[in-house]
Amino acid sequence: MATISFDLVSPENLIFNDEAGMIIVPGKDGDFGVLPGHSKVMSSLRPGRVMVYGEDKNLLKAFFVSGGFAEVNPEKCIILAESVNEINTLEKSVIEKEIQDLDSEENDIAKEQLSIARAKLNALESNFYEKI
Amino acid sequence: MPSLKDIKTQINSVVSTKKITTAMKMVAASKLRRSQEKAVAARPYSSRLEEMLSSLASSAASGEGIIKLLTGTGNDQNYMIVPVSADRGLCGGFNSSINRETFKLVKSLEKDGKNVQLMPVGKKSRDFFNRVMKDQISESFIDLNVSNSGYDSALQVSNKLQDLYFNGKFDKCILVFNKFISAITQDVTQQQLIPLDVSESSKEVKEDSNDAKAIYDYEPDEETILKDLLPKNVSIQIFKVLLESDAGEHGARMAAMDNATRNAGEMIDGLTLKYNRTRQAFITKELIEIISGAESI
Repeated sequence: MATISFDLVSPENLIFNDEAGMIIVPGKDGDFGVLPGHSKVMSSLRPGRVMVYGEDKNLLKAFFVSGGFAEVNPEKCIILAESVNEINTLEKSVIEKEIQDLDSEENDIAKEQLSIARAKLNALESNFYEKI
Repeated sequence: MPSLKDIKTQINSVVSTKKITTAMKMVAASKLRRSQEKAVAARPYSSRLEEMLSSLASSAASGEGIIKLLTGTGNDQNYMIVPVSADRGLCGGFNSSINRETFKLVKSLEKDGKNVQLMPVGKKSRDFFNRVMKDQISESFIDLNVSNSGYDSALQVSNKLQDLYFNGKFDKCILVFNKFISAITQDVTQQQLIPLDVSESSKEVKEDSNDAKAIYDYEPDEETILKDLLPKNVSIQIFKVLLESDAGEHGARMAAMDNATRNAGEMIDGLTLKYNRTRQAFITKELIEIISGAESI
């Protein structure tokens, strides 16, 4: 089966750069899957999970991104993310504490961080797309 | 004629200076390696962001709000110059070349009747411009420490800049920074940050991106993406510049300290020679005194 080359880039470094069988991307208007030969799309992202699958649809890696952009063409998928964590490095207790700390604050930046932290918690707990 | 003790003290002080410069060189070398890695690691993001922007930019007409980052305000009366220097000295001409270049730029803009504001980044340029053109500084950033705090440090600068820009404080923003070429070469570079200068970065891509653009699907839509992308691009460009300047600083310091160590070595050699000669002269003098004393008896 064909593969599509996939780059996941954060401002600090290149996180993932390899061939993949399929990628699920948290687009602003909803998740979308990218297979080899996908039509050209440019999308901004909401906080959520980026799932990377191998050729035989086994889950290779799962990441959490806090937002960013995706550019897709038939051969290549590029995600420019703001901050990236691999899902299995996230810790529930840490995020819950972060949510608690942010909950009391009122300014816009804290609110934005709060919604990102909530999305992070969701991402950690949900098991959508783990088997397809 | 200096006494032996004087020369000895002088030698000792040069020796300890040499120890310091050697140590500083080593430290700079290891920091250089780290910040160089960071600068290289940040490159994919900014280059891909540029690609995306160049394919979008051609579609943007003039507009209000965030699009102004791309199209400009339509004026070029008010300039904002951002010199990026280091927080610390002892790195050769690194800081002074930035200050000199910025100073020249400001003077030539003022000659053309423009208003110029400054937003120095780094202690060395802040201190310099505090002395020479204090009333033109609108804001300054020091101790950003980009190699540790990463992207957030760039965000501080970028948010402030955009804040001022959208309040109509300036029309054009130019960065002056040291571009990292190699460990021993840094190039003073000017880069126009606002409005975005797409013509340069995307000359080659432009031809094929024009037909490529036609078949892109945008989600949610072109304008929303552009609105997200443009502020981010400003931050990323600043981040890139901060990283380059950081790597350049360590490179410049390494080279400067290497020179200083070599000079100290030469100085020690010279002083040791002088010490030995003086000592010999004293011995000879004493011998002559003894001999002539013995002869006279």
